[in-house]
Amino acid sequence: MKTLVVAERKGTDLRRVTVELAAKARELGDATVVEIAGERYSPLPFVSALAKKVESEKPDLVLLGATLNGRDLGARLAARLGRTYAADVTGLRAAGNALEVDKPMYAGKIRAKLRLDLPAVVSVRPGAMPLKEGAEAPQVEKIDADASSEKLTFVKLAATATAAKRVSLSEARVVVSGGRGLKGPENWHLVEELADALGGAVGASRAVTDAGWRPNEEQVGQTGKTVTPDLYVALGISGAIQHLAGMTSSKVIVAVNKDPDADIFKIADYGVVADVFEFVPAFTEAVKKARAS
Amino acid sequence: MKILIPLKQVPDSTVRVKVAPDGKSVVTDGITWSISPYDEYAIEMALERKDADPSTVVAVVTVGPARSRDALRQALAMGCDEASLVTADHAAPLAVARALAKVVDEAKPDLVLCGKQASDDDQGFVGPAVAEILGWPHVATITKVVPADGGVELWREVEGGHEVWKAPLPALATVHKSEKEPRYPSLPGIMKAKKKEIPERALSALGVDAAGPTWTVLSMEPPPVRGGGKILKDGDAKQIAQQLAIALRDEAKVL
Ligand SMILES: Cc1cc2nc3c(=O)[nH]c(=O)nc-3n(C[C@H](O)[C@H](O)[C@H](O)COP(=O)(O)OP(=O)(O)OC[C@H]3O[C@@H](n4cnc5c(N)ncnc54)[C@H](O)[C@@H]3O)c2cc1C
Ligand SMILES: Nc1ncnc2c1ncn2[C@@H]1O[C@H](COP(=O)(O)O)[C@@H](O)[C@H]1O
Repeated sequence: MKTLVVAERKGTDLRRVTVELAAKARELGDATVVEIAGERYSPLPFVSALAKKVESEKPDLVLLGATLNGRDLGARLAARLGRTYAADVTGLRAAGNALEVDKPMYAGKIRAKLRLDLPAVVSVRPGAMPLKEGAEAPQVEKIDADASSEKLTFVKLAATATAAKRVSLSEARVVVSGGRGLKGPENWHLVEELADALGGAVGASRAVTDAGWRPNEEQVGQTGKTVTPDLYVALGISGAIQHLAGMTSSKVIVAVNKDPDADIFKIADYGVVADVFEFVPAFTEAVKKARAS
Repeated sequence: MKILIPLKQVPDSTVRVKVAPDGKSVVTDGITWSISPYDEYAIEMALERKDADPSTVVAVVTVGPARSRDALRQALAMGCDEASLVTADHAAPLAVARALAKVVDEAKPDLVLCGKQASDDDQGFVGPAVAEILGWPHVATITKVVPADGGVELWREVEGGHEVWKAPLPALATVHKSEKEPRYPSLPGIMKAKKKEIPERALSALGVDAAGPTWTVLSMEPPPVRGGGKILKDGDAKQIAQQLAIALRDEAKVL
């Protein structure tokens, strides 16, 4: 199978998902990795440049990371080329002349196996295809974005006050999320200190982002981010079905809630029935100690 | 300004979606249906524009089976002005986009707002595809729209903040969130919505074929059941904290 991987960078480094996809593409056969060079992503200049490349290389499969930009670019590219598109898949393999993919659907409540006839465009969830130890960064070919097709004007970047100094939520191996049980934004240092002790990212329930205690981008769940870390810690979160949709595929789930009947305990590997204000500081200390020894 | 919102009716977010006996589809009998959550945000965003400028016209459209009429009625009850239904029981995603592009050609909105993705297929395809068919620019996953000289400013949530893009009209955006929570229909809104006509026509009447590139479902499964976790309760906060930290390090091996 001939695959074209679309690379993405964060700062100067290739995103990890690009390296994951390049390794997958090599497994499937012939792989080319392209990066579209432009000042910043916008759909038309990127789609134009990429569509041209696809028309000349004729890959069976175009793979993108299911990132904010990757998902958008993949969708419009597939529409332009009239190819089948599957977004945010978590597994893929060749099946004769077709491709078989695993795709979460219904906001993560269902896992589907789908067959895609080739050629196709597929975006893949970051971290879904873990890298083998010592995987090498791929060779990347640069193509220029087609600036002439732009119809939008970039105005500015408005930074969020709490701009992430931590790892990004979707890619983090550890996520610590706070819910309404934290009582107010002034108590978020409890969540942050635990996240720092664990080397993880900070998340929130929608009750919290709706109340404006935390920025939207930290929301986990059906209408927020889907996360699949090794460790998910839910502090003062009740476990509504829409929250669970975004985090039930985490490897290990820890829940702290003062209500022994909270739904979150039904899916937790470790549940602690306690007051967050009492338990979390003690747990942060214990984590620091456990990691040090 | 005229704003058109293509919306999709999906199982309500509280539905515990189950796999049907054929193993390839989900149980739809007896479930509650709703407007897809991001489409609700799109409606709210448009209605906030209408609150600010009452001359704004907000229209909704859906391509779907007859039951989708309820979702349109709901949108009217929230405060939308017009609704129309394109009936189709099964249509490929690109066919849906083609039909929506035809509706846009006729209705001539200045701005089309789609949801960022529909919460059944979780794709995020139809919005960009409609823009592509129309040859319009689009901005994905916005949280705010502000009228600006010769167009609109579209705020797009990115890691660490928002990109602000200026788009000439007409343009299309996909919505991630509105500034306020989607409003509930008011009683007068519900009464008014009941009286409104919702014109209906078939996909074929738009000259669109239901076929298009799409996948074949091989199987569907619920995610693995979790449970059988441990509840830690012996000792004071400090003792439990220590037990948990050690269990995470030595048993779960995630520290
Ligand atoms: C269409 C739709 C989409 C949605 N999408 C999302 C989504 O993406 N993400 C999401 O999270 N929600 C989502 N929701 C909202 C969801 O239904 C819940 O309302 C929300 O998750 C509740 O947040 P919470 O658990 O923080 O608050 P609550 O449900 O109020 O729970 C607070 C919990 O804190 C516990 N608590 C209180 N005080 C303490 C204390 N001192 N110590 C320990 N525990 C304490 C309580 O026992 C309770 O269990 C969505 C809803 C809808 C309708
Ligand atoms: N059948 C449909 N009828 C009208 N709008 C739709 C339909 N399907 C998708 N959309 C719109 O396109 C968005 C993305 O859908 P999807 O590509 O299915 O994830 C939705 O949030 C709607 O705004």
